[in-house]
Amino acid sequence: MTNLEKYNSAFKETFEIGDDKLAGFKYQDIEAWDSVGHMSLIAALEDAFDIMLDTDDIIDFNSYEKGKELLAKADYGVKF
Amino acid sequence: MADRDLISKCEDAAKRIRRRIIDMTYATGSTGAHIGGSLSIVELFAGLYVGKIRYMADDPNWEGRDRVILSKGHAAMALYPAMVEAGIIDESELESFKKDGSRLGGHPSLNGLPGIEFASGSLGQGLSLGVGTCLALKRKNNNDSRVFVYLGDGECDEGSVWEAAASAGHYILNNLVAIVDMNAIQYDGYTTEIMDMSPFENKWRDFGWDVITINGHSIEEVLNAYDYRGDKSLVILAHTVKGKGISFMENNWKYHNASLSKALYEQAVEELEAAI
Amino acid sequence: MIEYNKRNIRTWSLLGPSGAFGTAALELAETKPDMVMLTADLCFFSGLERFKAAYPDKLYNLGIAEQNMIGVAAGFAKEEFIPFANTYASFCASRCADQVRVNMSYMNLPIKLIGLTAGYGAGILGATHMSIEDISFMRALPNITVISPADCMEIIKVVLAVANTPDPTYIRLTGPMNSPIVYKEDYDFQIGKAVKLAEGDEVCIIATGSMVYQAMQTAKLLEAEGVSCSVLNMHTIKPLDIENVFEANEKHMLLVTAEEHSIIGGLYSTVLEALSKEGTHKPILPIGIRDTFVHAGSYSYQMQESGLTAESMKIKILERLQNL
Repeated sequence: MTNLEKYNSAFKETFEIGDDKLAGFKYQDIEAWDSVGHMSLIAALEDAFDIMLDTDDIIDFNSYEKGKELLAKADYGVKF
Repeated sequence: MADRDLISKCEDAAKRIRRRIIDMTYATGSTGAHIGGSLSIVELFAGLYVGKIRYMADDPNWEGRDRVILSKGHAAMALYPAMVEAGIIDESELESFKKDGSRLGGHPSLNGLPGIEFASGSLGQGLSLGVGTCLALKRKNNNDSRVFVYLGDGECDEGSVWEAAASAGHYILNNLVAIVDMNAIQYDGYTTEIMDMSPFENKWRDFGWDVITINGHSIEEVLNAYDYRGDKSLVILAHTVKGKGISFMENNWKYHNASLSKALYEQAVEELEAAI
Repeated sequence: MIEYNKRNIRTWSLLGPSGAFGTAALELAETKPDMVMLTADLCFFSGLERFKAAYPDKLYNLGIAEQNMIGVAAGFAKEEFIPFANTYASFCASRCADQVRVNMSYMNLPIKLIGLTAGYGAGILGATHMSIEDISFMRALPNITVISPADCMEIIKVVLAVANTPDPTYIRLTGPMNSPIVYKEDYDFQIGKAVKLAEGDEVCIIATGSMVYQAMQTAKLLEAEGVSCSVLNMHTIKPLDIENVFEANEKHMLLVTAEEHSIIGGLYSTVLEALSKEGTHKPILPIGIRDTFVHAGSYSYQMQESGLTAESMKIKILERLQNL
């Protein structure tokens, strides 16, 4: 899987949504992306990329797009 | 409307309860007991235990029973003889009141005595216990049992009483009946002088309760109040006299917690016997 | 059914103690019909958001009225329900203390009280929301079981376990969101049975709650200095696992207790009391809050100020070892 595919997979699995929902998808857009769902997503992403996210980044991560931005940071080395 | 026979029966029971309170106090010797606030609550207990309570003496844990919570736990001395009248405990047990190892303590405790739902004595807690019990009864779809919580008027100084009152209003607990023994005197003096909570009726109404105000020594009014069923929690504000029934105790702060000398005991007995 | 797998363990640690509690609460809602959940206006704060959405009829909010909450819990308990109640740990042992002692301790009713943000968990809000004394209060009361889980998975196991006992229980939750993980895989949890997490022969750190993780890190630092260190997770402070404490006393030269709590009246005192009954015992070094309030600040700042970090513990232990 490419990094993008892994990233998308994490969202799709955690929230049981399709590819069509990903663009513009934000925290609290659906019931499942509440504080609990958020941490499930983070755990899934950490697993997928074998990284551990900073608390600050976990808090800032509030959308599909923002997440990509954060993961692309040097500390995590995830290139999309 | 309460029938005359029942009123009579309860009035007779009240006389016996009053006499037993005096006997029990005298038997404690110099230890003394909470006599004033026990004498004021006599008719309220007689009316419930002899007149209206849903209770099976041979099955104290019957699910369909009414629950009684003595929040003003120091009036236990009135509770025990009332329970004797209802056949819940035996008269002979009254002799052990406040003696070492007795089931009949100065405040009710959970030591195997039937008919006691909770230990009490720390004022201000009983109404919360009542709220929790009412919520639990509704959860079990038990719409027959009611919960009777007896409070003192001084006790209503405690903020926790009002937390409970607010929650009863919020949860609309129509199976909850609070009875306030308004004998107007607390340990240090008149309630209006220590911590004036008037207008008292208004406070309960504002917390979402139905309010009935009665003469707490009129069995007829007591029974009618217990008969009332509404959509909300009910508070019965019972105007009573601390030390009721004994001339030298009535409205006398000294008898909140006191002992009786032989002379005073005999005087008290004389008065009670004359009243029969 | 809760699965204790790697992904879930990480999710729970990210959620932090309240989130873990919320997870366990949901499980109970599904498996334990006589359970009810009470809160004093801390439904969201205590991790019960999903619980409220899924099981609103099992949740009773009593508003900011902790004393009433405990009394209401007692009413439920007497009528054969198992009530869980929660508030800040600081209020469990103070604001509703009388209700705790009469209803939980004296009447021995099966109320399960959760103390949120114990220790410095809400320390950013200042001393009124810190709890450095809750263990000392709870354990001096008869009948109350006192448990301090080491990490988020343990919180879940504790909550599920206590739901099935008839005992009044106090559970203090320590640790931040993104809470350090002590248990990387499932293990056998039993109330009252301490867990050996590392085995050495010179020092034994008996730790509870958040300090278990710190103790594990300390043990690694000590190994690097050539000191062999055991770590015992004493999650249940009352009843104390005396057998394991005695064994630790036998097998090591120095005992250390570690708690995010005052050194007065908490784990240190409990261990000392137990050992004193046996006559002489090995020296014991207490790690804990030294009878003082620290300034409001971040959790890590406060842990640092109080010497509750692995680095600080290592230094104190090495010092103590020199003076045995």
